[in-house]
Amino acid sequence: MKTRYLRYSILILILGIVTYQALGFSQHSFEAYCPFGGMEALWGLFRAGQFSCATGPLNLSMMVAVLGLAIVAKKTFCGWACPIGFLSELFSRLGSKIGLQKFEVGPKLNGALKLLRYVVLIVALFYTYKLGELVLRGFDPFYIIFSGFGHGTLGWITYTTLGVIAVGALLIPMFFCRYLCPLGATFDPFSRLGIIKIERNAELCTECGDCGSACLWAIKPMEMKKVRDRDCTNCLECVDACPVDDCLSLKASL
Amino acid sequence: MKISKYLLPVLVIFTLFGGYALRHAFTKPTTQVTFEGNGTETTTYVVEGLKCKGTANYFTSLYKDKAGISSIETFATEHLAVFTYDSEIITADDIQAIMDASLPMKDGSHRQVFRCVERR
Repeated sequence: MKTRYLRYSILILILGIVTYQALGFSQHSFEAYCPFGGMEALWGLFRAGQFSCATGPLNLSMMVAVLGLAIVAKKTFCGWACPIGFLSELFSRLGSKIGLQKFEVGPKLNGALKLLRYVVLIVALFYTYKLGELVLRGFDPFYIIFSGFGHGTLGWITYTTLGVIAVGALLIPMFFCRYLCPLGATFDPFSRLGIIKIERNAELCTECGDCGSACLWAIKPMEMKKVRDRDCTNCLECVDACPVDDCLSLKASL
Repeated sequence: MKISKYLLPVLVIFTLFGGYALRHAFTKPTTQVTFEGNGTETTTYVVEGLKCKGTANYFTSLYKDKAGISSIETFATEHLAVFTYDSEIITADDIQAIMDASLPMKDGSHRQVFRCVERR
């Protein structure tokens, strides 16, 4: 079975659950499940001993669980559970299908742009700490989409933000996740430690480059023995793309 | 050690359920207000409209001058408000009537902001 079908099945299920909650059918708000809300909640608890704005205990427990997952299996959450990661991926594949991804972001520029997500993380935490409010709600695609442009969104600024993120994903694969996601930035140090990762058998590798072409994050497994890259979500697209059996495989190692 | 790809979805589902189960370890009220009085009766209300710290502060302010209420704890993400009160002075129905009432808006109109959907 192609791994993508399995992965998409889980992602569709999670997207359905979040939509169900967003429509108000659940006791918990859809925001309560966001692990990044846990980061913001931490600041609120640190500052005033209380949760900030719309964050709560579930945000915190989800963050702890998801950070635990990152230590075990890198950014598996991003590739297998995040609804925004899923929508980004669908937009990225659409962009590729209709031929919009004609240029590749070079490794240097790619590395520099990735620093933006740390800026977003710092700004989000600073203002949550300072104001006790989730001030970046108007820029957060998860909140914008599932709240239906709800309270806290900023009119044309929010529409523009969502437009830039959508067009960005059509032009550059995983645009938001790569360059702007503060949760991704939070995972980075944990992801490098991830025990379960993809490994390449150099003796079997024909260096065809199919694995690198399949990776939406522009990681090149054929140049590594172990895929330690902080952005690897263990989506296994590279493993499925590899024409040689057992050349790329999922392994547990330090 | 080689690992089956099927371990990844198992880990994801385990993480999500684990995170959900772990929430009780971090339970802390969104707001916690105590008033004078020694009420012993406790009722939990599931309140539509109670969704963040701002609405929780507004909600508790509705009760600041009401006799008989000892404390209010709100849990915004779960839309819960826990009242401790003296049932000889104020009843659970009285408390519900206050939250269900239409409230004055800045433009002079009145609107129902909160609505009790369940009482436990």
